Amino acid sequence: MKRILALVLALALFATLGITSAFAADDGFVDGKFTETRTITVRLFQRGDNVPETSPWAEYIKNGMKEKYNVNVEFSVCGRWDDETDLGNLLAAQNAPDVIYTYAYPTVLNYADMGGIIDLAPYIEEYKDLLPNLFNLLGEENVYWDKDPESGKLWALETRLVNNARINTFIRKDWLDKLGMALPTNKAEFEACLVAFRDNAELLLGADAAKMVPYSTSQDIGWRNNILTVSFVPDAISDEELYIRGFDDRQQFLPGAKEAMRLLNKWYNEGLVWKDFALYGDGDTTEDDNLKAGFVGAFQHNYDYPYRNGEDSIEANIKRAAGEDAEFVAVDCFENDAGVYRKYLGSTVDRKVCFPTTNKEVLASLLYLDFISQPDTILFLQTGVEGKNHERAENGAYMMKAVDASDPYTQASLNNIDFTMTCNGQYLGEYTEASFAFGYAPVDPEVVQNAYVVAMNGGRVPKHFSLPAIEAETGVGTTLSDERNSFLNKAVTAPVDQFDAVYDAGVENYMAIGGEAIMNERAEKLEAATGYKFEK
Amino acid sequence: MNQVQQPSLSREIPRHRTNWKTYLRRYWTLYLLLAIPIAFFVIFRYFPMAYILMAFKKNNIIQPPWLVDWAKNSGFEWFIKAFKDKLFLRALENTIKLNLLDLVCGFPAPILMALILNELAFKRFKKFTQTVLYLPHFLSWIIISSLALRLLADNDGLVNILNKQMTGNPDAVIPFLSNPSWWVGSYIGLGIWKEAGWGTIIYLAALTSISPELYEAAAVDGAGRFRRIWHVTLPGLRPTIVVLLIMRLGYILGSEFDRPLALSNKLVTDVSTVLSIYVYQKGINGGGQFSLTTAVGLFQSVVGVLFLFGANFLAKRFGERGIM
Repeated sequence: MKRILALVLALALFATLGITSAFAADDGFVDGKFTETRTITVRLFQRGDNVPETSPWAEYIKNGMKEKYNVNVEFSVCGRWDDETDLGNLLAAQNAPDVIYTYAYPTVLNYADMGGIIDLAPYIEEYKDLLPNLFNLLGEENVYWDKDPESGKLWALETRLVNNARINTFIRKDWLDKLGMALPTNKAEFEACLVAFRDNAELLLGADAAKMVPYSTSQDIGWRNNILTVSFVPDAISDEELYIRGFDDRQQFLPGAKEAMRLLNKWYNEGLVWKDFALYGDGDTTEDDNLKAGFVGAFQHNYDYPYRNGEDSIEANIKRAAGEDAEFVAVDCFENDAGVYRKYLGSTVDRKVCFPTTNKEVLASLLYLDFISQPDTILFLQTGVEGKNHERAENGAYMMKAVDASDPYTQASLNNIDFTMTCNGQYLGEYTEASFAFGYAPVDPEVVQNAYVVAMNGGRVPKHFSLPAIEAETGVGTTLSDERNSFLNKAVTAPVDQFDAVYDAGVENYMAIGGEAIMNERAEKLEAATGYKFEK
Repeated sequence: MNQVQQPSLSREIPRHRTNWKTYLRRYWTLYLLLAIPIAFFVIFRYFPMAYILMAFKKNNIIQPPWLVDWAKNSGFEWFIKAFKDKLFLRALENTIKLNLLDLVCGFPAPILMALILNELAFKRFKKFTQTVLYLPHFLSWIIISSLALRLLADNDGLVNILNKQMTGNPDAVIPFLSNPSWWVGSYIGLGIWKEAGWGTIIYLAALTSISPELYEAAAVDGAGRFRRIWHVTLPGLRPTIVVLLIMRLGYILGSEFDRPLALSNKLVTDVSTVLSIYVYQKGINGGGQFSLTTAVGLFQSVVGVLFLFGANFLAKRFGERGIM
């Protein structure tokens, strides 16, 4: 009897041990390789019609992992724009890939709260030495970016944003030349350009004069007018205030943002802004079609937007539509109160990689991250095969070539970011800088280089504060950003004399449905950590 | 009492109540066929109902709901939270408003259309018209919303371009999609355009069952066309109308998803965000609030069932057969 009791107790002890310390070192890993083949599944985005899981890029990764670590890699494919929905379904079905990622940290936190995500902290400590490439690429800062200072939990690794240029202002230089105007260098000159475009529609567009759009934007007002917005924010704004008010990544709740919207509202009412922008939703191509057809004079967007997508880029299209000298160039003309062309850049973080609790191959998964962070892996995934995807310049720079979309060697995303999970942006070692401008064939490298320089000019990276999780940010979903877009659209399209009323009501509503709670919690936790007192 | 002589059957009907096994043995092929839809309903309709429990539990989709702790306020945390949420209340209001308008305008439309079709004398023209009326039903809301934008957009839409050219006034813009009140009109109108024709099918079927003798008798009594419609056709359609109305009322808090999502834009979210969109935003589109959204869904269903029973009860009170 005693023996049985002892056995039961021992078993119970063993069981509790197993539960309390989920972490256990993998003993099948000998001399840098698994003794028995392991299998992991990895999330992969699909864009358009291509089949990413059988592409040469996928094969390269599969072969490399098999050879180096004896790990089979399988890809779990999902549409780029269904990722959040798909991830929720897979996690609920206990069927998520072993390596998953998302752009939204609140999503990670939400699933971590449900017990669906592995705490990576002990694994990173144990296996740090096996992951030199991962640490090299991400840096300690990114690896521990999301580590909770109180609980020590680490739910996700922040992957690396190599190039943190964000947004640019583009203007049709050939139109300015035709009108005998110089590139604008301040807001007043920019406005004068828009007025000139509007008033000279017949000269610039001939029979299509009615289609003239001096300045184009989309319903995502905050992003698409970000430089305009930021130019109204006081230059002296502190890192702390920027953090507290900066939950909204469109910077629409910083001091001064309202005046920026007032200017846009004035432009709208003067017929300088695309009239129907608010009617078209996310992903609608009407605006792109306008841009490609050459009806648009100026706009703000991602710093390289008109140059993306090779032969189908906006730049290539307007040259076909309006002649060889047609071009969009990036300009700096939104000065702030200190006379600086301020831009808020992205920080060094990009996607958040995490492992679901169904992952039984944590080490193999970490080694996968290390493998795709290897410089030679990234080099191949980004530049492909010489003669097919690129040629080398005399200085060693990689000159990317446009590859037909039906070719297996086509890259469905810029720099193949769907495959380089841990790295966003060209990362070619010593050749990075020289190669950057060649990444956009057939667009003139000088034009691209200029866009990059302009996008970084006056750049400020908002400071990261390591704080406990902000609970008010979870579960918000798209409600806040949708409401923000909604009231900004209404305010910008309102008659000038109603702007204040519409805008103020919108801010009030945004704050009431969750904006204020987030700001308050951020302020509280920041004060607890740094002693900073926030004044509204 | 006289015993009626039963006609003799080839097989003797047993006196005692037939054992289910006997039926099963005799008609097993039919039961086998029946098993398929029953399995469908059990697996896809009844089994998932167990997950309604999520509405009363802490937010967790990783574990089965029966293993998760109860939510706060004796399980009603999410219901309380929803009713304190301005966005939910707005969605609820919009859902009711749009559904009522749809009911008032959209429900009579197929009846009227069926009556008109029924009066067409030239059969081939009638068939052709019917087919044309059905067609929009087969278009998805995504396609229709895209058509609506090309046609109705403020400045680039065909209707407004024509309007501007005909009036010669460049500011003569009808804000079909950008003004909230106009948008509601466009929403209801497009709904009627899409579904009214399809809705006529069931009424036209009901019309064929009305005896031609009634029309002849009415004609003999001197009833004109409208009198015949009023006294013969409409009473003949009444049971069908009542059944469809009851079913429609059961859906009063239900909301379509693709229709408001596709037709909406950022200028009209105050009137276009309905419960399904709210559930989408808070639940699967990044919000991850699965318990809250289950609670909202349960609330919708409960109200729907109450309306269904209420309408059925009233119908029976007024002498109709109802659906239950």
